[in-house]
Amino acid sequence: MMEENKKSPVITIIKNGPLKVAGNFTLLKENNYPVESASKVYLCRCGKSSNKPFCDGSHREAVKG
Amino acid sequence: MESGERKYKNKDITVYWKPISCIHASACINGLPRVFNPRKRPWVRMDGSVTEKIIEVVDKCPVDALTWKWNDEEKNKTVGREHPNHIKNRRRSLLKNDDIDTYQGATIKIMENGPFVINGGFLLERENGSRSKFSGKVSLCCCGGSKLKPFCDGSHRAIDFKS
Repeated sequence: MMEENKKSPVITIIKNGPLKVAGNFTLLKENNYPVESASKVYLCRCGKSSNKPFCDGSHREAVKG
Repeated sequence: MESGERKYKNKDITVYWKPISCIHASACINGLPRVFNPRKRPWVRMDGSVTEKIIEVVDKCPVDALTWKWNDEEKNKTVGREHPNHIKNRRRSLLKNDDIDTYQGATIKIMENGPFVINGGFLLERENGSRSKFSGKVSLCCCGGSKLKPFCDGSHRAIDFKS
């Protein structure tokens, strides 16, 4: 079980900020095409980023959550 | 994408595992339990026996779930029908390219005008540092509109979110 835990990615909810995703994961578009990404990414969850799906810092101006 | 194929090596050979083909005939786990133990991870342990024994058992797999090759390419040329599960006889395409898809983890699908759909096991760490384990499908809000954050509640439709 421990080994599996190590393999699973960790998704961190950053307060009033993006999702941090680190570990073993693959980003896909809706059509299942992989999206090139680093092993650690910050995903926009405020809807305001102009670099979606990634965070560009726009949340500072946007809705809290 | 998620075939979960694996390869395992010792100094002499590479063993290929193709889970989608497995019919659970159990020739491997009965033949060489110290090498093939599905309760352990990795479930194939190449240091559990000697090369000759591993080849013998891999050759007993009735399908192409387990196949093998010599790491020395020259040696592969001399292999014939006596080894039914040599990749030459079972999975010829691996001779040219054995860059198999070894992915195992989670996928994060970015839905159009919709949420992030995570499929597979992952740990969710909350703002307060607490961690919980998830598996299967979970949708996380990406529009900022959900009342159930960090989860999606479908609000992206109500606010006409465009990704």
